[in-house]
Formats: sequence, structure tokens, C-alpha cells
Amino acid sequence: MSAPAPPSPARRPPRRALVGASGLAGAVGLGVTVWLGLWVTPPDVHQRDLVRLLYIHPPIAWVALYLAFGLAGVASLLWLWPRTRARLWDRLAASAMEVGVVFTALTLLTGMLWGRPTWGVWWVWDARLTSTALLLVMQLGYLALRRVPADPDARARRSAVAALVAAVDVPIVHFSVDWWHTLHQPGTVLNPELDAKVHGAMAWTLLLGFVSVTLVFVWLLAERYRIEALADEAADAGLEAALEERWAEAGATAQAQAPAGVGS
Amino acid sequence: MTDLRAEVPGAAPPATAGAPAPGAAPVAPRRRRRLRYGVVGAVFAGAVAFLVSQVGGSLDYFETVDQAVAHRASLGAQTVRLEGLVVPGSVHRDGTGVDFVAAGVHDRVAVHDTGSPPQLFQADIPVVVVGHFTGSGFAAGQIIVDHSATYIEQHPARVRAPNGTTR
Repeated sequence: MSAPAPPSPARRPPRRALVGASGLAGAVGLGVTVWLGLWVTPPDVHQRDLVRLLYIHPPIAWVALYLAFGLAGVASLLWLWPRTRARLWDRLAASAMEVGVVFTALTLLTGMLWGRPTWGVWWVWDARLTSTALLLVMQLGYLALRRVPADPDARARRSAVAALVAAVDVPIVHFSVDWWHTLHQPGTVLNPELDAKVHGAMAWTLLLGFVSVTLVFVWLLAERYRIEALADEAADAGLEAALEERWAEAGATAQAQAPAGVGS
Repeated sequence: MTDLRAEVPGAAPPATAGAPAPGAAPVAPRRRRRLRYGVVGAVFAGAVAFLVSQVGGSLDYFETVDQAVAHRASLGAQTVRLEGLVVPGSVHRDGTGVDFVAAGVHDRVAVHDTGSPPQLFQADIPVVVVGHFTGSGFAAGQIIVDHSATYIEQHPARVRAPNGTTR
């Protein structure tokens, strides 16, 4: 009765091996980063052993702020632009935002763990920390918005607008340490001079941390995207089944009424 | 058949499964749902407003020693956060706390802190002190270390020997 459905992204050859390799490489890289960070790299001249949080906090923040939000923002723009509108952009934005919220929370958590022994306080309301907390709240708001029942297009439109509104906070977070006096130090790598003032083996370990966390993010994103695509397929199948059922009901009712109509 | 098909889209789609049929929509569940979204929206808006209010009128977390000294008269005994470099050789601890000199580019302020300095507090690093100006300097109740984004190996020249010792 119905033509075969066009192949959806979830049914295409999913390049699972590549995704799995990304996750495995990320996990191994993280393990090596931890080993280098805890046992091989030397202490810092000022922070001493507290510097070891350097190898995970900036990489996590990099993923949360730039990769996850960058992807969500670009995908949302591509969905809103009529010429490029496709469901994959909505799925990609949703997936990036959902994985990103975990990384934003981890950014705040690792930052607090680092701040307590170095600054002497868990938290301060400076522009960098506050704007990052605001980002987390807006990410949670985005995810809540996606749970509001609506047809897929309406949900995608609302979500895309919300993602772009939230994305306005990203440059504020990034430049807050340059625009205002903040307790948070300037960018370790992405500073105005693009000069990472990190010494020797510490720099290589930090680089490995960046690569590893990025690979883990890619793996999580790909898996989350696959789940989103499967959920869309399930919703479509459910809708088709409901329509078929109603058509069948309507057909049966029409048949039952037909003799009475003829006789009258 | 055309009429029947036209009716189908009006049927409750799966996304609204459990929702009332068209024409017989009970108002109460819909109101409850709207109320729930309203509450969630209000909580979200409240959280954003709270975060924005925490930053307050000034987006600067502290004033540098030079800035604070420049308008010291207007500050009076008001609580401020003051940022400066701990001058080497100026740190003296006694039973009442720690004394040191915080330096800006041009000005210096003598600080007496009665709180517990963080473990990284030392000479030649920037700190933020929370307190107020007094006649003779600055009375602080809290020191926060404002470390830089420069990371240098503590003993870069040392190598690790096979037996695990460094030299």
C-alpha cells in the first residue's frame, strides 16, 4: 500500500567503526592524560601539584563552550535558513546541546574543585563564572523547551531560536576575562595573543587532554545523534500506524452505513 | 473517501496521545499543562534574573590598587575588593593575621588581613583582598589568590634518575 520509506540517517551504514574508534581513542587518550598529569609532569612553580587540574578543566571547557555550542548554533542557523532546512540540523543541534550541558556542568564542577585550593573559595560571582552558570541554565532551558509537546517543525523552530539566544552568551563568557576584571584568569590557550603560556611537558599533556576530550565528545555526539534519529523514526512509525488505524476505522464505518443509505 | 481522509488529520496524533478528542477537549488538563509550563518558565526566568543580579551594577569583580587609591576618598569605609601584587619581602605573620603590601602599577597599599590566607598565598603573586580602607592602610577579612594563566615547571632543570630521585 505504501511506498518504501526513503533511507533515514539511522538506517544508513552508520560508520559505527569510526564512531567506536573515536570513543576508544578518547578513552585511551584520557587515561594517558591522567597518567601524565598525575605522575609524569612536574609541579608548577606557583600552584605546585594543584596545577594538575589544568589537564582536564580547559579541555572540558573547550568542548562545552566552543564545540558543543558552536555546533548547536551553526546547526540551528542551518535549520532556520529555508534553503538548508533539514531534520538532521535539528537533531544535530539537540544532540550537541544535550551532550554540551554535561560538559558545561563538568566545566563548573572542575573549576570549583580547582578554585577552592588555589583561589581559596569554591565560587565567586565574577563575570566569567556567572556568565558560564547562565549558559548552563539556558542549556537546561533549551532541553526543557524540547520536551514541550509540539509538532516536529514547531519544536525545531523554537529550539533553534532558543539555541541562538543562548549562543549570545558564548562570546560574553569568552571575552569576559578581557572585558572586565575577573578572578578567573585569562584564557590559557585562547587568549588574545593565542599564546599558551604553558611550559614543556605540561603543554604536551594539555594538548593531549584537548584531543582526548574532543574525541570523547565526538563519540558521545554521534551516539546521541543516532538515538535522536531512531526516536524520530519511532515517532514517524507511530504516526503512520495511528493514521492507518483511523483510516481503517473510517472505512469500516462507511461500509456499515452504506446499506442504510441505499435503503433510505 | 476524500471526506474521510480530510477527517484523519484531525485525529489525535501520537504526540498528543492521551489528549482529548477534537471537539471534546476537557479544559482542566490543558490549563494544568499551561500552568506547569508557566511555572517552569517562571523558574527559568527567575534563575536568569538571579544570575544577572549577582553580577550587579558592576561587572568588574575587583578594583586594582591604582583604581581604588585614585578614588579612595569616595570609598570611605565601604567594603571593596582590592587587587594587587604581594610585594616580595613585605609578608609578616603574627598572632592577629598577616601583613603585606599590595602593589599596583603606580600605588601601593599596606594590608592587614585577619582571615585565613589560602594555601597558595605567597609573595610575588596577585591577590584580591576583601575589606575596607582605614587611616593607615587596608583592613581585610579575606584573601583570594588571583593566579595567572602562566604555568611553569617548578624544577625544569632537574632530571629523574633511574632510582626515582630527582637531581
